[in-house]
Amino acid sequence: MRIFKTDPAFKFMNKRWIAFFVSGLIMAAGIFTFYTKGFNLGVDFTGGTMVEVSFRENISVGELRNSLQDIGLGKSEITRVGKDENKFFIKTIQSLEENDEKGNGEDISLHEEITLKMRGQFMGSDEKASLAAGKIDINNSSLKKITDFIASGGIKLEDAVESAGKIDSLKKTNSTGLISGIEEIEKLDLKKRVGTLLKEKTFFGNFTFLSVDFVGSQVGYKLRQQTTLATIWALLGMLVYIGFRFRFIFGIAAVVTLAHDIFIALSFILFFNIEFSLSVVAAILTIVGYSLNDTIVIFDRVRDNLKVMRRDGAEEILDKSINQTLSRTIVTSGTTLATVLSLFFLGGEVIHAFSFTLIVGIVTGTYSSIFQSCAWLKIWEKQFRGKKNK
Amino acid sequence: MNNTNMWKVGLIVLVIGFSILMLYPPDKKINLGLDLKGGMHLVLEVQTSKAIEIQTEQSIEQLRSLLKESSIKYEKIRREGTNKIELYGISLDDERKVKDILDDEYKDYEYVFAGNQITLTLIPNVEMRMRDLSIDQAIETIRNRVDEFGVSNAAIQKIGLGGGDKILVQLPGVDDPGRVKGLIKNTAMLEFRAVVSGPFATEEDAMKDQGGVLPDDMKIFKTNSRRMDRGYYILRTSTVITGKDLKNAKRSQDGYGAPAVSFTLNSQGATKIRRFSSANIGKRMAVVLDDRIETAPTIQDVLSYDNQITGNYTIEEVNDMALVLRSGALPAPLKYLQERTIGPSLGADSIRKGIYASVIGLILVMVFMLIFYKGAGVNSVVALIFNLIILMGVMAYFKATLTVPGIAGIILTIGMSVDANVLIFEKIKEDLRAGKAPRSAIDSGFKKAFVTIFDANLTTIIAAVFLFQFGTGPIQGFSVTLMIGIIASMFTAVFVSRVIFDIVYSGKKKIKKISI
Repeated sequence: MRIFKTDPAFKFMNKRWIAFFVSGLIMAAGIFTFYTKGFNLGVDFTGGTMVEVSFRENISVGELRNSLQDIGLGKSEITRVGKDENKFFIKTIQSLEENDEKGNGEDISLHEEITLKMRGQFMGSDEKASLAAGKIDINNSSLKKITDFIASGGIKLEDAVESAGKIDSLKKTNSTGLISGIEEIEKLDLKKRVGTLLKEKTFFGNFTFLSVDFVGSQVGYKLRQQTTLATIWALLGMLVYIGFRFRFIFGIAAVVTLAHDIFIALSFILFFNIEFSLSVVAAILTIVGYSLNDTIVIFDRVRDNLKVMRRDGAEEILDKSINQTLSRTIVTSGTTLATVLSLFFLGGEVIHAFSFTLIVGIVTGTYSSIFQSCAWLKIWEKQFRGKKNK
Repeated sequence: MNNTNMWKVGLIVLVIGFSILMLYPPDKKINLGLDLKGGMHLVLEVQTSKAIEIQTEQSIEQLRSLLKESSIKYEKIRREGTNKIELYGISLDDERKVKDILDDEYKDYEYVFAGNQITLTLIPNVEMRMRDLSIDQAIETIRNRVDEFGVSNAAIQKIGLGGGDKILVQLPGVDDPGRVKGLIKNTAMLEFRAVVSGPFATEEDAMKDQGGVLPDDMKIFKTNSRRMDRGYYILRTSTVITGKDLKNAKRSQDGYGAPAVSFTLNSQGATKIRRFSSANIGKRMAVVLDDRIETAPTIQDVLSYDNQITGNYTIEEVNDMALVLRSGALPAPLKYLQERTIGPSLGADSIRKGIYASVIGLILVMVFMLIFYKGAGVNSVVALIFNLIILMGVMAYFKATLTVPGIAGIILTIGMSVDANVLIFEKIKEDLRAGKAPRSAIDSGFKKAFVTIFDANLTTIIAAVFLFQFGTGPIQGFSVTLMIGIIASMFTAVFVSRVIFDIVYSGKKKIKKISI
């Protein structure tokens, strides 16, 4: 199958000013957003506490915020995970403010306090009573704790291990990570004595912390520095490699194109208020690799064509090179985009920001290798054709 | 199939066979990261400067007693910064004797005489070694504690640049995060010191007791208000015994059945405490844990090997205290830089979604390639599957850990690794259109595309290397899978695909048409 019936012969170089204008516009809007709104930095970079909590009953973001207000965490960022699930990311901003007063000494104790307070706040009064009565919260106990508990109730260890295992895998199968009540346990076909023990001595909490994240403020600062450095070094490394394999000017054009991709990706992260975390940085660096891959394939063709098409002008050579590699560019972008889209839609909330960045990056990378990389070579035409071909 | 194809096929079978062998059974061979199986991930910093400070304090203590033994008079000794000792008021006559002591006993220090003042500075190399050592010791202590607490498969390692100045602790499936964190962080520096006077309500009162100026062999300590009344004591700076003199510690009960900690001293410690207690019956001795007084009982009798610390303890506190005393003191306080706790259900969910996304992604790419390149598409699908097998096999071989970003890396690899095939196929198509014979089109397609593939993939690898070098945990997992995937794709797309073409078209003398 062919994408183009005849060999494509689009005049891309003609459109280069339009491309520059479009990219410039997006970046300008990006810069504007940066100064008006700024990045939505994740705990990786700001330091602080973030928890992912899952509730058994329906709760709205507003209700959750009110509840947090009572313990002085009303300013926290709350994001619902998925559309109709009762899972939320809660990022506390307070931790940082208080930390400034304390200097960056013991921010972990603050973090402890915050998670403890949250637990206390989310727990209903009947649950607190159950806990005070010495009952075990199945939803907030690990496999080991449940096993120990059942075993301590005078049940044979192997039975305890088996029952606890069943309870644990039930929790894992439920998308909430929670067990709704004793009825669900009864379906598990456990030993009768275990069932009675659980009925009498346990309860099922209405929430659980799926994950808890704490990053010290110093770490956040260091990470910011490190990632900036990593990006700069990666770009330099590529510049050197391309300069070595091609003519130096190709390296410059490639790096300018990559910088363009990074800025466009950052702009879209700003527009959509995507949380800027370490995984987004990883995605951006991947884009750099991917886009460069695309650019090099075209430059490789330009290098070949420079030898063959000695009489032609720069514009013809560049257009021809892009056209010759066009179907490859489309196929590869297509397959990569297909996988990244499946990652975005099916991969879960944990890597949402990551896959979003990749989608933007792959589209941008493809666009830029076609419309930007060669356009920059055209601008530096004299250098790229070399002295002989003046 | 001719001979060259035979060994090529052999090599492919060998590589794939080896990968499968490494991989089987996958649930045992693939190491799941904490984000997939649940658990706690901690990053700690050892405050090595504090370790140096403690070392300097000990040297001062030693110097004080050495000067006393040689009956050398001095005005005062003090610590300056973390690594300097200043000694004031040495008379000219004693200078020679002091020099001898310093030359014999203080080889780790450089010293300078200036008038009647001597400044000792820890030699930088020694200081560096001490800092490294304190990190190693901290790791050892943490490992002991975690082991004793009963966490299985805990991983404790140094991380960070320059040999590592931070400690990463990974604890799969931990029950009680708060308690474990407390246990790890507990410095557990135990000291027995003689009580000079006390208790006092405030620090000022304590100072007044000594006429406003504290002699340098005394120090004010605060009580641990959870164990005894809030207040201050003046204690001797020299210690009777320290945690190092301990042989064992365990939970016990006092005469009234309340929780207590019993400990056994080694022979050195027993000698020290026997000598001290026999000379000080009726006086008080303070038990200081991490610079706070736990208890300050009156010495009733001569003490020896077995002793007990009682106080207002709960059973859990007594258990933990015995554990940390047994495992030894940390050389310096620790600071938590990062903590990540992932519940097991989130991990299970991530695995489910990761597998789902990978399979769908894989199917999409395969369908795409089959529609697009027909017969050659089958070739690339085979290459893609081989690529995945090799990728997983290599990961299993290096015992790499599979994380959520790692899965993302694998999925991305699926999409990107067909690129090499695409480049080759497009080149072949182009040559066919230019009127080349099928066999030579295959030949030149592979040959020409290789340069491009090499350049393009190498740059991606450069990016991945930088990611690995600078990144932390999750990013590294991603970059490792990406790197292995790309290298494997060079093998599968360039080598395996070529062999498949050769085999498919080797029987026929003349190929009329390639399905591409």
